[in-house]
Amino acid sequence: MATSSGPQSTLGTADTVIESSFGERVSLRGSSLSRWMGWRLRLLVLAALIGCLGLFLVTRMMAGLPRIDASWRPDSQGQIELVRAADSALAPLVGQVLVSVQADGRSVEVKDALTLQRSARWVIDDQLRARHHLIHEDLGSVLSQATVRLAFADGRSVLVQPMPRGFAGLPAMYWLLCTLALLLYLVAMVVLMAKPNGRNVLYAVLSLSQAGNLVFIAIESTLDLALPSTFAHLDLPMRVGFDMVAAAAIVNAACVHPRRLPGGTGIAMAAWAGAIALTWVVATDRLPHGWWWVQMAVVVYGLVMVGLMTWAYEIEPHPFATVLRRFGLVTLGTWLLLTVALASAVANPGVHQNIASVGSMVWYVFFASLLLLVPFLSRSQQVMREFSMLAAVSTVATSLDLLFVAVFSLGQFASLTLALFVSLAVYSGARQWILNQLLGSSMLTTERMFEQLYRIAREVEAHPDRTPALLTQLLRELFEPMEAVLVERAVSATRVSGDGSTLIVPVPELTGEAAPASRSIVIRFANRGRRLFTREDARLTDRVVEQLRRAVAFDKAVEQGRSEERARLAQDLHDDIGARLLTLMYKAQSPEMEEYVRHTLQDLKTLTRGLAAPNHRLSHAAAEWKADLAQRLTAAHVQLGWNFEADEDMLLSVVQWSALTRVLRELVSNAIAHAQATRVDVEFTLRAGRLELTVGDNGGGRNPRAWSHGLGLGGVRKRVKQLGGEVEWRELQPRGIACQVTLRDFAPRP
Amino acid sequence: MSVKVLILEDNPVARSFLCRVVRESFSDAIAITEAGDLESARRHIGPLGRQEPADPFKLILVDLELPDGNGMELLAELVKYPATKIVTTLYSDDDHLFPALQCGADGYLLKEDRFEVLVEELQKIVRGQPPLSPAIARRLLTHFRQGAGAGVDSGPAPLNSGFQSSRPMPLGRGAPLDHERLTPRESEVLTYLSKGFTIKEIANLMGIKWFTVNDHIKSIYKKLNVSSRAEAAVLASKQGLV
Repeated sequence: MATSSGPQSTLGTADTVIESSFGERVSLRGSSLSRWMGWRLRLLVLAALIGCLGLFLVTRMMAGLPRIDASWRPDSQGQIELVRAADSALAPLVGQVLVSVQADGRSVEVKDALTLQRSARWVIDDQLRARHHLIHEDLGSVLSQATVRLAFADGRSVLVQPMPRGFAGLPAMYWLLCTLALLLYLVAMVVLMAKPNGRNVLYAVLSLSQAGNLVFIAIESTLDLALPSTFAHLDLPMRVGFDMVAAAAIVNAACVHPRRLPGGTGIAMAAWAGAIALTWVVATDRLPHGWWWVQMAVVVYGLVMVGLMTWAYEIEPHPFATVLRRFGLVTLGTWLLLTVALASAVANPGVHQNIASVGSMVWYVFFASLLLLVPFLSRSQQVMREFSMLAAVSTVATSLDLLFVAVFSLGQFASLTLALFVSLAVYSGARQWILNQLLGSSMLTTERMFEQLYRIAREVEAHPDRTPALLTQLLRELFEPMEAVLVERAVSATRVSGDGSTLIVPVPELTGEAAPASRSIVIRFANRGRRLFTREDARLTDRVVEQLRRAVAFDKAVEQGRSEERARLAQDLHDDIGARLLTLMYKAQSPEMEEYVRHTLQDLKTLTRGLAAPNHRLSHAAAEWKADLAQRLTAAHVQLGWNFEADEDMLLSVVQWSALTRVLRELVSNAIAHAQATRVDVEFTLRAGRLELTVGDNGGGRNPRAWSHGLGLGGVRKRVKQLGGEVEWRELQPRGIACQVTLRDFAPRP
Repeated sequence: MSVKVLILEDNPVARSFLCRVVRESFSDAIAITEAGDLESARRHIGPLGRQEPADPFKLILVDLELPDGNGMELLAELVKYPATKIVTTLYSDDDHLFPALQCGADGYLLKEDRFEVLVEELQKIVRGQPPLSPAIARRLLTHFRQGAGAGVDSGPAPLNSGFQSSRPMPLGRGAPLDHERLTPRESEVLTYLSKGFTIKEIANLMGIKWFTVNDHIKSIYKKLNVSSRAEAAVLASKQGLV
């Protein structure tokens, strides 16, 4: 299990985050397959072989044990009733109550349902447990004889020969439980091989203890009247031991994962010591009310684990802690329910036996599945969702069933039906809530998502250099992580690491202008640290990036189409109309006409240039204005005074550029043509968004108010108004006219 | 012996106007050949061999937009032709003019300018005082800055690498050849030009004579042409033409 190793989660650990991704715990896929060649694979195969062999030996032993092929159940008086018998001699006695089993001159009284209690682990009372032990020891030795006489309450007795059942005779439940145990064992081994460190050893210990529990339950499920005596000896200490080892391992794991807690070693040592001590005193029968001690110890350990997880989450909001805490609470709750059900059913041996065998088995299977799930938590959201639904529903159904049977003494069928209905109702009502709670799947709504996507696409297109920042923002809104950082490291693909706490996204090159940037976005702790990243999230991110890429490409295509269209239009205008105007100009009858056409031609050129180039930098435009004016004024032997000041080199829009170009040209033309000036002064000032343009001359113009605003000056007014400004003419002293254009809110290109 | 001038222009009115401009500009006897399209212009020029043409045109005015192609094609073919080549066009923006200058034009005239202006500009170009608008100055600056290594910014990559490998590079990769590098003075002149300063103003600012500024501009033109010419040569040898 890989996490950041620093005392706090800081942005500085970004590199370790990436590093940790290489140590992903179970990486059986593709690229990391090569890691599995060599010693790991050999050891794994060896472990698998040992597991299979062990299981085979146990199975062979079970298959070889002599047994009477019959089914028994406790009746309402708590006595043992024959339900089914394969033996022809026994068959007529179905429904009769068994009182004793005799063989070889010994007789074992089987007065009550205690005999049918499969495991001493679930016998609550100390005296009863001792008696259970004795009965099974006796029964075991009696049943190992060649012939056994079964005596029934109605006085009849039958001689039967216990026979080995063979492999085929083992019940389906046995095979299922063994398979689960083997699976758990193998997963534990894989995890251990993948990275043999302390945490994974703990996981392996935990899994192995549960696999052991499952094997014991499987063995118990094959027995209907008695346990083999060796097994009866082992059962109680082993199962208490497994439970306590599991509890201690969980507490220990909680101390080191997802982060190492201060004082964790002490807590873990105490937990192990307590577990070992308790197992020892219970197994050697030195502690009165041993069952209660064990149950309560497990509850306490569970609570400690939940507390540690909460603490760990407060130190660092690793979503793994939240998920494990939820798992812990569910498991603990069901354990408590099981304990309460067993304790309350103690008066009814039949019910008690039912709960002890079915209920405990369900709990262990549930727990084993949780354990199986843990290494894959960040792998698949789908599996996790399905599993949590299944677990929630089946747990609720089973617990309710057990509760109804125990507390209300309902019949089996009635309680099962009721439990099923109630749990279905709970399921349908709380489905969304459960999903949200277990997974924290509060996602950005699709609508907002699309809105964001297209907004960002437009921004990316305008500023390709801001792609990482914009993408980070999008991911932030998508996953609500606690941290999102940009690191200068390249990763080949989007991936989840750090047990689902971290998602690493390579920064894509959306505009396709530069070489792929070697940068990645690292986001940690989804949904404010309440959710794990999964492979689905990685895929979702890839899809989002792909959509973004498409949106950008689409926008670019549209923009390109538009600019191509504009360029074509400009070209046509320029070539056709321009050539005609030129001809017209050469053929002009008078200088005025020629000048007029030249003017028109220049306006046309300004227009087409504006069409072809979407924006102009102010400094470039000013340079051209100046060069143009200087050339024209020099040709007309007029001096130019040019003063340009701008606090911001903004981008002019087409409208701004062409309007200013034409206004300037018009005003200077006026000064040359009408005023006969010898000097023209142009002052251009842009300060804090306020533009002032003054064109003054020393010509003979007077009384500007009286001017008839012909095409030229009317054009100036129109352009200035278009830009939202004002224009004013005034007389200068001693001579000349100044035109002042003021644009109060001269905004950059939108 | 009269000076031979070729005017390539498809619009007859504009052609006769340009003829007037040319006649007005020079006191020498002038023999003007007019052509309306590229094909007839090529015919008039005759075959382009290695040796100097016997009686070459001294001045060639080329319009860019022609019925059978772009004037730039002809300019490119005439890279080594010993004439003053001038682009006459309606386009005044750098996007159209710069490629023409790269193709070896010695200057440009804007057809919409007034007769007197055109005459003056033409005289200036022939005298070696070509115009340089701020936009083109900007383009030249980026061209020479990017042109480190070889050739023109738009040149295809294999062409560049072939060019590089054919000559030993003095300072390793990315060091421009002498004729592709601007002197600091030339850069300064270009920078001022790109900001819209006139030649006189630049002379004042730099504390030099105006004709020195002009020399710099001429030299910049030459460097642009030389780099284009070198490129054209490489292109030609690649295509097996030389």
